[in-house]
Amino acid sequence: MQKSFSLDGLNVGDVAKISDLNSMELPSKFFEMGLLPGCMVEVMHKAPFNGPIGLHLLSTNNLIAIRKSEAVHIFVEK
Amino acid sequence: MKKTIIALLGNPNVGKTSLFNRITKLNQHVGNYPGITVEKREGTVKANGKTYTVIDLPGTYTLFPTSLDEEIVFNSLADKQNPSYPDLVVVVAEPNNIKRSIVLYQQAREIGVPAIFVINMIDEVKSKGLEIDYPQLEAYLGTKVLTTDARNGKGIQTLIQSFDERPGHYFSRFETEATYSEALAETKKLFPLQTEYQSWQFLAQDHISFVSHEQRQRLIEIRKKYNMTGAELQKSESIKRNAAVAADLESIVFAKENKHVSSTNKIDKALLHPFWGYVIFFALLFLIFQLVFTLSAPIMDWIDENFAAFVDFTASALPAGPISDLITQGILAGIGGIVIFVPQIAILFLLVSFMEETGYMSRVVFLMDRWLRPYGLNGKSVIPLMSGVGCAVPAIMAARNIENSKERLITMLVTPFMTCAARLPIYVVLIALVIPNDTFLGFGLQGLVLNLLYILGVVAALVSAWVLSKIVKTTHKSFLIFELPSYKTPDWRNVGTNVWDKTSGFVFGAGKIILAMAVILWVLGSFGPGDRFSEAERYVTEANPGVAEEELGEEIASFKLEHSFLGYLGMGIEPIVAPLGYDWKMGIGLISSFAAREVFVGTMATVYSLGEDVDIEDDQQKETLLGKMKSEINRNTGQPAYNLASGVSLLLFYAFAMQCMSTIAIMKRETGSWKWTVIQTLMMTGVAYLIAFVVYQLMK
Repeated sequence: MQKSFSLDGLNVGDVAKISDLNSMELPSKFFEMGLLPGCMVEVMHKAPFNGPIGLHLLSTNNLIAIRKSEAVHIFVEK
Repeated sequence: MKKTIIALLGNPNVGKTSLFNRITKLNQHVGNYPGITVEKREGTVKANGKTYTVIDLPGTYTLFPTSLDEEIVFNSLADKQNPSYPDLVVVVAEPNNIKRSIVLYQQAREIGVPAIFVINMIDEVKSKGLEIDYPQLEAYLGTKVLTTDARNGKGIQTLIQSFDERPGHYFSRFETEATYSEALAETKKLFPLQTEYQSWQFLAQDHISFVSHEQRQRLIEIRKKYNMTGAELQKSESIKRNAAVAADLESIVFAKENKHVSSTNKIDKALLHPFWGYVIFFALLFLIFQLVFTLSAPIMDWIDENFAAFVDFTASALPAGPISDLITQGILAGIGGIVIFVPQIAILFLLVSFMEETGYMSRVVFLMDRWLRPYGLNGKSVIPLMSGVGCAVPAIMAARNIENSKERLITMLVTPFMTCAARLPIYVVLIALVIPNDTFLGFGLQGLVLNLLYILGVVAALVSAWVLSKIVKTTHKSFLIFELPSYKTPDWRNVGTNVWDKTSGFVFGAGKIILAMAVILWVLGSFGPGDRFSEAERYVTEANPGVAEEELGEEIASFKLEHSFLGYLGMGIEPIVAPLGYDWKMGIGLISSFAAREVFVGTMATVYSLGEDVDIEDDQQKETLLGKMKSEINRNTGQPAYNLASGVSLLLFYAFAMQCMSTIAIMKRETGSWKWTVIQTLMMTGVAYLIAFVVYQLMK
């Protein structure tokens, strides 16, 4: 079953596929750094108290970090 | 002859700066882009019978700017009138992220600049399990592809020899979606001389600084007419381009198993741990400050001693007189005040650039962002803020590592609120004077007050950051996305260059201003109008006929200071500082401690006729100074000059006021403008005045 929800809902260790990004809220830098629809991501780290989220972009093999406030505009499916 | 400009363009963390250092060696200088706080790195290299100007553009992932730094990149490449408009762009890539770099390369070519493509860190190709078909890649990109390794210098000479390379016509591989073609056609009419892609860029960006007002209005109208937003166009381009490049690269770059992030992930398990990550970070921070202080202390003492000896020697070698005094007490003292900072700055930047080079700095941002973001700061602000406990001068320089220009500016503006080492002697003297030596809940009251003042510094920094974040305007939305680069051993060449840049930048940049202010203060304190200054000896002996020989000199010095320009200035500002509970003698202290806060104690000693060489660490001398200060009566109020109310008021004034010309000088240098420097000085001194006033009026 596929269900789309925002990326901040993932736990450390979860792997998911990005289904969509809200381009009205996110600058193009997010796309350029590899957060693109279809990209597989693994949540590696979460800083405590809703701090940044560390992601491993499996398709391009990069580690990036984003804030929770931007993660809510990224939609993933498991 | 017009100079040939070569611009290095690339993502962050591709070793672009290492490459720049290799190419230009030490023929480089770091300045600011005019009027803004973005660092401009420019250098020269002689080759092929001419001299090339090489510019290290700020790292970026795309030509669509989301920060001031990235706007610099776009403006340099898209505006032919820009002084940095390059003759050739060198797009720097690294093996693991060739795709991202190709996207940037395509954007650069399509906007109309010639470019060659360099794969740096080429030694990692094997370890990263990659294979690259170079002839295919050259054909695909339509340009020369070079490989380098900036760490060991491999391929650098070939790269420099290729600076005259001008690739042929480039055929765009980017087709805009059909839904945008009408809008694009209309935009093209507006810019008949530009490439199609440039028109597209104009259409997709909301703030372009170098088009005319009418053109900007027309762009807004077009976007409105077709009901589209810039963000939407940018997204469409990114997705199309990335998909296309990914597909095309499949037959050019072959990735086998890629292991490079697995060791990084293991290290991060500890360093980014929700609990141990913080423990490690704070332990490291503690270690850094210990090192900055313990390593620099003997060097600073050595400088201090030898400089003093040198000044004495100069004084004895020169014929006595105002010229000798100017040189020894004005100029040399000023230079001494600059040089004394060098060990701290060099050591701090050695450690900070070590953290940058290894990749740990990004982890610091990750750990600290959550705690500093509510105040409009960035995770990286923690380094300047904590360094501010030592000295604001290197601390403000450490803010350079913050990419977001607004967060960098705010960090620099609030860092001097942190309690620096120079405030400590003032606090010690004043606390000993006015705070009773009692205990409170089992703790010494004097110690508690000192702790309180440190906490006050942190609170003042955070609160003012929060206020400033509401006031300072930015055209770029606040967001945070950053790479956690894989851990590397540092490139020592980069560390060395960085330490040299920062240290020499301080000595030659801020040093000029510090020196000028030191000389001005010396002049004010050493000359006075009228015969009360010039014939001080006669006045003093007339007033105190029976004064002992050894006290006479100090009485004269005190009398002279009172009737110098500085003394009159102190009396002049008395009406302003009287509401805070200060008299004119404290006024003199305030003005002269502007040179550096620690001067306050020395000046007070001179004012109270003790000779300026009071050693605050010598208990007996301290007692003498304290005794004098305690018995001092404020002639306006008739109360002791240092009572509880005026003492607390003075403590608070020093806690908040911008009483440091070195900080002012470094702010001027780092922001590249007097505007923010003046705003900061007014803000800090204004807050100090207000708080000291309120507290004094409530307590008196």
